[in-house]
Amino acid sequence: MLDVAAIDPVLDEAPCGFVSFTDDGTVLMANRTLATMLGVAPDALVGRHVESMLTVGSRIFYQTHLFPLLRLHGHADEIFLLLRGASGEDVAALANAVRRERDGVWINECILLRLEERRKFEDALLAAKKEAEAARVEMERQRQIAEEANQAKSAFLATMSHELRTPLNAIGGYVQLLEMGIHGPVTSAQASALARVSQSQRHLLRLINEILNLARIESGRVDYTLREFPVADVAESVLPMIEPQIVSRSLQFVTAIPRDVVAYADREKVEQILINLLSNAMKFTAPGGRVELRARFSPGDSRCVEITVSDTGAGIPPDRLEQIFEPFVQVDSNLATRKAGTGLGLTISRDLARGMGGDLTARSTLGEGSVFTLTMPAGA
Amino acid sequence: MTDDILIRNHVTVSGFGTQPMMFAHGFGCDQNMWRFVAPAFKDDYRVVLFDYVGSGKSDLKAWDPARYASLDGYAQDVLDICHALDLRDVIFVGHSVSSMIGVLAANREPDRFARLIMIGPSPRYINDPPDYVGGFERGEIDGLLETMEKNYIGWANFLAPAIMKNPDRPELAAELETSFCSTDPVIARRFAEATFFADNRGDLAAVQHPSLIMQCSDDMIAPDAVGDYVHRAIAGSTLQKLRATGHCPHMSHPEETIAAIQQYLSAHPADEPARMV
Repeated sequence: MLDVAAIDPVLDEAPCGFVSFTDDGTVLMANRTLATMLGVAPDALVGRHVESMLTVGSRIFYQTHLFPLLRLHGHADEIFLLLRGASGEDVAALANAVRRERDGVWINECILLRLEERRKFEDALLAAKKEAEAARVEMERQRQIAEEANQAKSAFLATMSHELRTPLNAIGGYVQLLEMGIHGPVTSAQASALARVSQSQRHLLRLINEILNLARIESGRVDYTLREFPVADVAESVLPMIEPQIVSRSLQFVTAIPRDVVAYADREKVEQILINLLSNAMKFTAPGGRVELRARFSPGDSRCVEITVSDTGAGIPPDRLEQIFEPFVQVDSNLATRKAGTGLGLTISRDLARGMGGDLTARSTLGEGSVFTLTMPAGA
Repeated sequence: MTDDILIRNHVTVSGFGTQPMMFAHGFGCDQNMWRFVAPAFKDDYRVVLFDYVGSGKSDLKAWDPARYASLDGYAQDVLDICHALDLRDVIFVGHSVSSMIGVLAANREPDRFARLIMIGPSPRYINDPPDYVGGFERGEIDGLLETMEKNYIGWANFLAPAIMKNPDRPELAAELETSFCSTDPVIARRFAEATFFADNRGDLAAVQHPSLIMQCSDDMIAPDAVGDYVHRAIAGSTLQKLRATGHCPHMSHPEETIAAIQQYLSAHPADEPARMV
């Protein structure tokens, strides 16, 4: 029979619960602090089974994990347990225990620390982690869906490209043959009609190309070859392309670009954008008007280059300034007076600009004209 | 193939006898729990110890969530080992849930087994009113799962990504291993669910082998009423009440446990038929 000494007064009031028990679970000693934690009288625990101070779930855990651990390893560290208080409430505790021999008898000695605040903190941490993981999984799922949609779109476009162009080429080809008189002389009325067919065919072809181009840009399937070049060189290249229109519309064209304005971009795409902007400017400016092409370093930011195309045309109403960059929008929504064009030019131009790390913006004053600004990263 | 199973289940074989005696650990631990009992049988038997996949030093990569969602998957581990070692006339000693795992294995391949020894068996832990008292309500099992989650298992879950990303810090994995018998929190939880939500009452009537039920005093996991139930359901079984308290007499009272098993085996020697029907 083990002689249980009276508990040491320091241990009795230590700021942690203390309990010792035999291998079969009989409590030999329990301190006052533990009794208070459980809401029982100081001597109420001795002789009882250690399980009686645990919730049912923790009892099972004690039998299946904690006791084997103590028995096989000789100690158990930082074990979370739920103690069962006298009035039925749960008391979260952290246990450290050792199994040692005293006077020839093996005893398990265990301290119990109150854990309530830390438990709330841990619970919140675990919950947050679960949420973050769920969000990550959801994001991955969405990314997968987007990726699949993108691929589906590309596949569709590739098919459509072929499907649409083939008959259009046939139309163009046969119209050309007819115009050439292969099937006999063509009356002037017939020639006029054929010209209409031809015009529509070319428009349709242009439209298809631009739609596919736009789709490619938006799928990120366009490659940009970035290098440094003086903007003045680009201006020189595009000039011959727009000259006919300048002349035929009796427009004034002004350009003055210092040679030190160097951009870091895809030169071909910048040309494409400028041609688009200049065509628009000329299209929407009445004869006798002026179109200007200028370039400079952004004021206050020498890492940016600004290329502006301005005109003295009719201008764009303020509420349309954003809309004109959207697909298929033209300033004049009246179909009868609309200018020829697909309505995709500015959309494509802005997408290309942004794809190169820049942007395309517009400002305008009704009755005075518009300024389109293409910003690009500057070269060294 | 044979070697794969022996490695997969960390099978250890020892002893000088011919008849195999297979010790199966319960939920929450591994074959180490037999260290105070198994050696007593080495002289007379071929002692086979193992860890279920997911426990101890078994190969965790072999764990399959579908297979080990029910006790049948664990019974298959037992049969796999019997095949690998070509065991016949096995005396199967199962602690706690392994008692039922033994029942399932023996019902599937009766020819391989001779005796079933059950320490603290329970065919169903959750009460089934009005008549069946398993000892627990479902909410109390949830309490166990929560306690498991908070104990290193929760931490392990938290740390696991860190450990996986730190192959150069093997000491982290080692800490997990030495602190608890089951190293993986998901696996531990699934084993707990498979154990505590099982219902094997219907499998008891089919038991064909002489069986010993060892009933501890004051066992809150396998109380007296459950021991009685198992005894009544298995025809011809022997119910041995122990003075040992708690649920792990093989660890808390090894001498009494050894004596009870030895007594039973003497009373039902090897030349007695292995099958009772």
